[in-house]
Amino acid sequence: MLSLNIDLLANGLIMGSFYALMAIGLTLIFGLLQIVNFAHGEFYMVGAYAYTLAALKLGLPAWAGLPVAFAVGALVGWLTERTLMRPLYAGYRSWGPMKDEYAIVVTFALSLLLINLVDKVIGPYAVLGPGLVDVARIPLGPVMLTGQKLIATIIAFSTIIATALFIRYSLWGRQIRAVAQNRLGASLAGIDTTKASSIIFALSGALAALSGGLLAPIINTTPDVGSFPAIKSYVIVVLGGMGSIPGSIAASLILGVLESFGAVYISYDYRDAFGLVILIVVLLVRPQGLFGEKGREV
Amino acid sequence: MNQAAISRLLVACGAALAAATVLAAEPIRIGISITQSPPGSVVQGTQVKDGVEIVKDMVNKAGGVLGRPIELVYEDDQGIPEKGRAAAEKLITVDKVVAITGAHQSSVCLAAIEVAKRYNIPYVNTNCWADAVRTKGYANVFSAPIYSSRVAESVAETLGKLGAKNIVAFAENTDYGIGQAKAIGAALAKMPGVTYRYETLDRAGKDFTPAILPLRANPPDAVLMAMLPPPAYTVINELYEQGVAPTAKTWLYDTSGLADYPDFWQNVKQGAVDMLNFALYHPAMKQPPLAAEVAEAYKQRTKNNPNRLIFQAADSLLFIVDAIKEAKSTDPAAMIAAMEKMKFTGTRGTFTISSTPGPTYHQMMDVPTVTYQITAVNQPIGQTTLLEGPGMPLDLAKLKRPAK
Repeated sequence: MLSLNIDLLANGLIMGSFYALMAIGLTLIFGLLQIVNFAHGEFYMVGAYAYTLAALKLGLPAWAGLPVAFAVGALVGWLTERTLMRPLYAGYRSWGPMKDEYAIVVTFALSLLLINLVDKVIGPYAVLGPGLVDVARIPLGPVMLTGQKLIATIIAFSTIIATALFIRYSLWGRQIRAVAQNRLGASLAGIDTTKASSIIFALSGALAALSGGLLAPIINTTPDVGSFPAIKSYVIVVLGGMGSIPGSIAASLILGVLESFGAVYISYDYRDAFGLVILIVVLLVRPQGLFGEKGREV
Repeated sequence: MNQAAISRLLVACGAALAAATVLAAEPIRIGISITQSPPGSVVQGTQVKDGVEIVKDMVNKAGGVLGRPIELVYEDDQGIPEKGRAAAEKLITVDKVVAITGAHQSSVCLAAIEVAKRYNIPYVNTNCWADAVRTKGYANVFSAPIYSSRVAESVAETLGKLGAKNIVAFAENTDYGIGQAKAIGAALAKMPGVTYRYETLDRAGKDFTPAILPLRANPPDAVLMAMLPPPAYTVINELYEQGVAPTAKTWLYDTSGLADYPDFWQNVKQGAVDMLNFALYHPAMKQPPLAAEVAEAYKQRTKNNPNRLIFQAADSLLFIVDAIKEAKSTDPAAMIAAMEKMKFTGTRGTFTISSTPGPTYHQMMDVPTVTYQITAVNQPIGQTTLLEGPGMPLDLAKLKRPAK
């Protein structure tokens, strides 16, 4: 029983680290720009395909597929911001009142477009990406891991830490936080708020795509694979507190562990419901989420 | 050219034009409801489309049916029951089809047959295995594929001969998966000393490790799969990664014909080696000459080897075409009456249509089945070890037990 519990804990933390990588990009957009991005899951999907096709079609080594996925994701995120999101805050005043509706409709349309485009261009068949390492089983005490899961977890945690440091200490990171706090104020202080928005979208796309690349050898990639990370990410972002990176990380790990234990000790059938139940409980007790701040209006 | 010759030429051109116009204006329209976009299985939908397109071309090339070409009208059901219902409604009321076929997911079939029943339009089930499609007893619904309780009998028989006593099944949370798992349970219940349980897994799920981990401490004698791709691929990989199956102790037994999907080897590797497979097609099995014709057309069309879905789709459309010929009419009631009495020869053999109420109602009887074992990574089905087939009893001497 003890070894099963250790197994479940390890599996939960591993899945949690993947959830965190997926969710951080969304928390940046959702929390900092207050934009609902329904196409976030498709950023993940694009990364998974970029990683897999770079290796299978271009013949690149699997390791090289990760920067390719990161770059493609950043490009898709940047293009999304430049072409679809700019009207929200780039001087088009008349768009202001319909900001939320516009973002929902346009990102939902983008999601459908990307899914169907990939379905027609690449095809509906599932494909498993090549592993970064070719080791099927690594016994770590009572825990049995694949080489891919171990490496992917290490890269996921490293990327999460690097992103948190980037947001906290870099010049661009400070500009992003300033825009998140007060767009007008940041603008008056000389910060290029439009550029900051571009950076947020590009970073969000890159992180989701990197997550897709890391999981491509574990989860079969299909055109609709993005629905899974998108739903998890929304739960995590709200649970952790919108815009809070530490909150997203904590919520991801909690969700991963909860799902892992719940699937065995309650029922696998309700696995996806556990996150929603804890979300409702947390919102009842602490509406701003685990690490979120209470909203202030003047 | 004299005036008489010009007149004859004009008359001939006019007649040809008129004939062409009649042919173009009055095709027999047959509705095809398949998954062409997610979340349903687009892979299956693509294969069904290939199968019916091949037959449509063959029939039209041979002069059509009742002197009229057949035209296929496609609707995308996305594998969603409500969309399947809407697709059937549109095909019948707007496109005025004389029959519907193509559906390949039980949940969609169960929704769509309600609409077809209301309009009394012939509905030929292409790949819905759930018994419930038949047990409803709808007079206008006919089934070309195998059915869950027949699969269960075959699987239970094999498990009995393997001596498996402790059996666990993973079933997807669909009408097909749960129906299949229950049918296997009912078949195994007749065998003394066998313990059986099944775990339903979310078809949209991506990580099934928590469901697999408890089996590491208490490995069963056999793990059965009643799941479709892509989640089925993930489960196979995770069973192998966790060292649960296939092993010297635990058989891995797929009951849904996974290995003949075109993307199978792109998604599973070592985990599928030594896996037992219940299936409906193996290149070594005997088939009528028509099957070779369809198989060749499919290879030319897609550069892939055919699988059971191609033949099931081909048979579904051929069955409708034969019913029109038999009834000498496209009147739905006449077609249904003809279908009930027909002895139909398709790509998979010659079938009678059962009228016995229950899971065989309006079923093409004695659909050929096979059992084989995969023995190497990337192995084509033709090179797998055929353990059982039409006219060939189960031969366990050929079976290879995993080394550890």
